[in-house]
Amino acid sequence: MDRALVLFIVAIQLVVGSLCNVAGDNSTLESVPDLEKAMYFNAHGYPCVRLLNLSGEIGCSNPGQEKIVAPIFRQVNIDKLVVPSFAVLTPLEELENLLLRVSSDSKLAQKIAGVLVEATGLENRSLGFSPDEKFPQAEFAPYQNLSFEWNPRGSGIMWKRYNFPIFLLSNESTKVLQEMATQNEKNYKAYPSNVAEFDLVMQTTKSENHDSASCLKEQSCLPLGGYSVWSALPPIYAGEPPKSILLVMASMDSGSFFRDISFGADSSLSGLIALLAAVDAISHVSNLNELKKQLIFGVFTGEAWGYLGSKRFLLELDLGADSLKGLNSAMIEQVFEIGSVGKALNQGVTTFFTHSGQDTSSTNEILDALQKASESLGSDNVNIKKADATNPGVPPSSLMSFLRKNSSISGVVLEDFDTSFVNKFYHSHLDNNANINATSIAAAAIIVARALYVIASDAPLNLIVLNSIKVNVSLVDELVGCLLTCDPGLSCGIVNHFISPSSVCPNHYVRVFVDTPSETQRPQFADDTSRFVWNFLADRTSAPKKNSSPCKGECSSPSDVCVGAETESSRCVTSTTRYVPSYSTRLKFEANSWKILPANASDPSGLADPVWTESYWNTIGLKAYKVQSSTYDNFVLLAGISITAATYIATLVGKTYLLKALKHD
Amino acid sequence: MTVAAGVGYALIGLGPALSIFVSVISKKPFLVLTVLSSTMFWLVSLILLSAAWRALLPIKSTAFWPYAVLILTSVVFQEGIRFVFWKLYKKLEEILDLFADRTSKRRLFLTDKLQIALAGGLGHGVAHAVFFCLSLLTPAFGRATYFVERCSHMPFSLISAINSLGFFMIHTSSMVIAFNGYAQKKKSDQIFVPVIHVIASIMTLINLAPGGCVIGIPLLCLSAAGTLLYCWMLCLHKTSLLTPLYSGLPVTVSFEISSRARLKLP
Repeated sequence: MDRALVLFIVAIQLVVGSLCNVAGDNSTLESVPDLEKAMYFNAHGYPCVRLLNLSGEIGCSNPGQEKIVAPIFRQVNIDKLVVPSFAVLTPLEELENLLLRVSSDSKLAQKIAGVLVEATGLENRSLGFSPDEKFPQAEFAPYQNLSFEWNPRGSGIMWKRYNFPIFLLSNESTKVLQEMATQNEKNYKAYPSNVAEFDLVMQTTKSENHDSASCLKEQSCLPLGGYSVWSALPPIYAGEPPKSILLVMASMDSGSFFRDISFGADSSLSGLIALLAAVDAISHVSNLNELKKQLIFGVFTGEAWGYLGSKRFLLELDLGADSLKGLNSAMIEQVFEIGSVGKALNQGVTTFFTHSGQDTSSTNEILDALQKASESLGSDNVNIKKADATNPGVPPSSLMSFLRKNSSISGVVLEDFDTSFVNKFYHSHLDNNANINATSIAAAAIIVARALYVIASDAPLNLIVLNSIKVNVSLVDELVGCLLTCDPGLSCGIVNHFISPSSVCPNHYVRVFVDTPSETQRPQFADDTSRFVWNFLADRTSAPKKNSSPCKGECSSPSDVCVGAETESSRCVTSTTRYVPSYSTRLKFEANSWKILPANASDPSGLADPVWTESYWNTIGLKAYKVQSSTYDNFVLLAGISITAATYIATLVGKTYLLKALKHD
Repeated sequence: MTVAAGVGYALIGLGPALSIFVSVISKKPFLVLTVLSSTMFWLVSLILLSAAWRALLPIKSTAFWPYAVLILTSVVFQEGIRFVFWKLYKKLEEILDLFADRTSKRRLFLTDKLQIALAGGLGHGVAHAVFFCLSLLTPAFGRATYFVERCSHMPFSLISAINSLGFFMIHTSSMVIAFNGYAQKKKSDQIFVPVIHVIASIMTLINLAPGGCVIGIPLLCLSAAGTLLYCWMLCLHKTSLLTPLYSGLPVTVSFEISSRARLKLP
């Protein structure tokens, strides 16, 4: 017995010794939390959320109140599957086709538990991706031809309703989930299978509200909105005779299928950056008080969701609200909008197109000024052309709100396209800084700055001053980095000089109006971009001040505002810069809740207003892990019970046997 | 894996302990106390070991020999204090026998001693299961399962439960064999226990190799079965049913039993 034992030990040692080269594990699990982290993969994804309007819902949500768990398969293989429900992993190129198939094929729609979109972007950028419609916000157009295709690449998928969650994955999560899908596909029916767990439970689904009216009443949603900003250059002083107003505007919001990743670089943050750079350029001109026209700069938010900013601006102007004190709507003679100006550079030549409303002498004044500005740049090759006469009217822009109100207003919108968008990524998450050219934006800024000087100044035109107006190209580059990228994003120098931002990645989805709309000039919930624009404009349009004291919000003089109140370098400046709340003109905040006002037949654009709201939600998450079949689980339970029972029986038998043996003695 | 699987794994690992407890131990309060104090004793030993090794963990080497050193030192320590445990038991036995004499109750029988040894072993087995397996079972009640890279044939919880079951069997049986070995001063029993402990522990290193668990787990089950068989043969042997394996022993055994039986007589 001993010899056998010794041989056994030797044999084992030989075996163990031959295993000298044991492969090392990359990650060792050192605790139970480590094990749990290894078991459950928390995927990083950008969701598409549930939005509601007066007639129904759009967007995505879990169909019930629970998390959805389904095995992951790739989009190319879904037709071979026999499982009752599955999660689809699809490349971006196939997303539109998949969603259009789902809308038409109800059997497929029932089988799809969720959709995961790969992060790899588009292999071929010239294909484009635009989830918006072919004529975005056509219901607000001031003309009849609503089938004109301003956005020929549009698929319209962002305006449809999906009864399952859709997530856009980050780069690392894409790789992990692709591996999981491949593992699943090795054997379609067998376990263990890799599943994705979607948590996109929307409050409106829980409380069964399916339109804005009911969800606002039950307080399971909030209306979309934010804070627009307007500023006067030079500042308006009380008691001064009012001058004729030239309103220059741009928008600071955009849309996307995935609400958390929406840069809107070309449409229309390029216009915003051009406006800010133009303000910066003009502010260096001396004796602005001698201009014969008053320059007013307006930056609206919520334009992608029913022109919330511009319509509310016009409404408040009519109502004579406090936030618009100093502006006389009767004095607004000309309106000039800077639309998408980021893609005008084509083979070394920059060309902008002017789209205008009615042909009036004021409109022609703007167009002439633009030509003069272009000529003054000399050999720097910036062309200004009039848009094609066969266009039905102005493209989708804030100018539409003004024309709807008063079709004879003199309005011009400057764009980088003629008959249809050159932006193939209109209102998508790929409309980022790779989609624009900073040179194009700088060109727009200088053209606008010089044209504004031409319009606003008295005859004869001072060419020396005109030629001295130069745009700060490094400012344009810095603003592109701040507002259109995540690195440096909002942690860049110029933004931190004015505000302390709440996040690094800029997100230009308008979000919900959390506040109660009041006339306060220090709103608590204005988003980072609004606050930055307010501070920047207040700083650049301010009259030069000799001594400025640090402030925390209030300034002693009523015509002063506090710039940089959130930072260390705050100071009081004399400036006319105000916030204007931006929310639907059909909404009113009364008795602690939002009420929808009845439609007024005399206000056709109010009739067309969908009154967008976004559902409340608790947590949004995406996990992926392996599961066993329930048969296996039951088998393990059975094995455990049988081992326990067998041991019990064996112990009893053994005890009886031994006791009997003892009794024999 | 869900609750069903979690309960299943818990039963695989600790079910036999529960069965033995209910069928043998729970009938006698003294045995229950023995199990509890044994569990405590062995848990403390494991805690002392982990405290001693704390500074050197985690082992970042890819070779197997640091793990072998870790296992060997731990096994040597545990076998060392097993002897201490035996000494404590001997002291207790003397006190109990003295008490029995004074109150003219019967002294400890052979079966009593075997049961106490079993209770001691049960405590050791339960301590091992609690220390090495119980906390790892918590994720098993969740929805996800986990497969280790180097052993993709079985879920991790199953490997853990089977390992725990194997070592439970080994420890429980070892204590009975060891107590007998120390009492009878039998060299074969005294050597068998540490040797089988070392072999079973070192064999778990096979699991470090990719796919090694296919060999390692059955080998562990084999050694557990072997130890159980040895223990059973020893018990049968002590109740003198089988022909003696060693010369001279049955006389001593039957003399011991008959002397105890004689004392029972008034």
